[in-house]
Amino acid sequence: MFGSLDISTSGMIAQRERMASIAANIANRNTILDADGKVNPYRRRMVHFAPGDPKAGSSEGRAMGVHVAKIEIDQGEPNYEWDPSNPYAFKEGPRAGYVPTPNINSVVEQINAMEAARAYEANVVAAEATKTMMAQALRILG
Amino acid sequence: MMADLFSSGGMQALELTLQFAGQRQRLIQSNIANIDTPDYRPMDVSPAKFQKSLARAIAAREQLGGDQAGGPLLLNDSREIVQQADGSIRLNPQTASGNVLFHDRNNRDLERLMQGLAENTTTYRVAADLLRSRYDVLRTAISQRV
Repeated sequence: MFGSLDISTSGMIAQRERMASIAANIANRNTILDADGKVNPYRRRMVHFAPGDPKAGSSEGRAMGVHVAKIEIDQGEPNYEWDPSNPYAFKEGPRAGYVPTPNINSVVEQINAMEAARAYEANVVAAEATKTMMAQALRILG
Repeated sequence: MMADLFSSGGMQALELTLQFAGQRQRLIQSNIANIDTPDYRPMDVSPAKFQKSLARAIAAREQLGGDQAGGPLLLNDSREIVQQADGSIRLNPQTASGNVLFHDRNNRDLERLMQGLAENTTTYRVAADLLRSRYDVLRTAISQRV
């Protein structure tokens, strides 16, 4: 019975990691430079969930939990904004005068964030219910 | 006689109900944890089927030894619920289908999951409270001795 809390905990951890990637996407919505200062717009991070949690301490958690299998970096085309006065705009080529910006849609990110928050809440409720059951089992004894 | 102390009347049935609800809780938790996992299909066992096979086991035991008969309750093994040699039960969950399939090929249904969670918690609570009152009765009987 105690191991079953691991299942809900793994769900909370996975949703929190998802929320972290959403927060990073929103925070970097206008980031057009990479860590080296080169023009390389931020690419959207997407988490992928898979059943089972290899890091859980109990067999129930390992078999029935959830974990983040992979954080994928969106390799799609960036957006291009017309801004010729920007020092980072392309100087030549077919896109001269355009600045590459991340292809992050804040509406999509907000909705994903809401979904992650609700899923996190559902896991919290499940964990609370399990805790109540454990307390009741203990009360049988006296 | 001493063996009957813990297996007479409803105690065995309550114990099996506790086991069933305790194990089903894990399935529900797992379904909730995997609510956003692509390709995941919720797994569950049917509480109605468990109740039915429990009722049949109680009726069979009563036929053998009357109303206050003791002894283990023998459930009819089904695909979902398997009773082991020591009397404990093991759940063999089935993948539920027949729900809206989302684009990530997960047929989640949060409302139904939360309903199942509430029902299961209540079942567990009822069984635990009833079992506790049975033990209280035993304790009262024991403390009356001279």
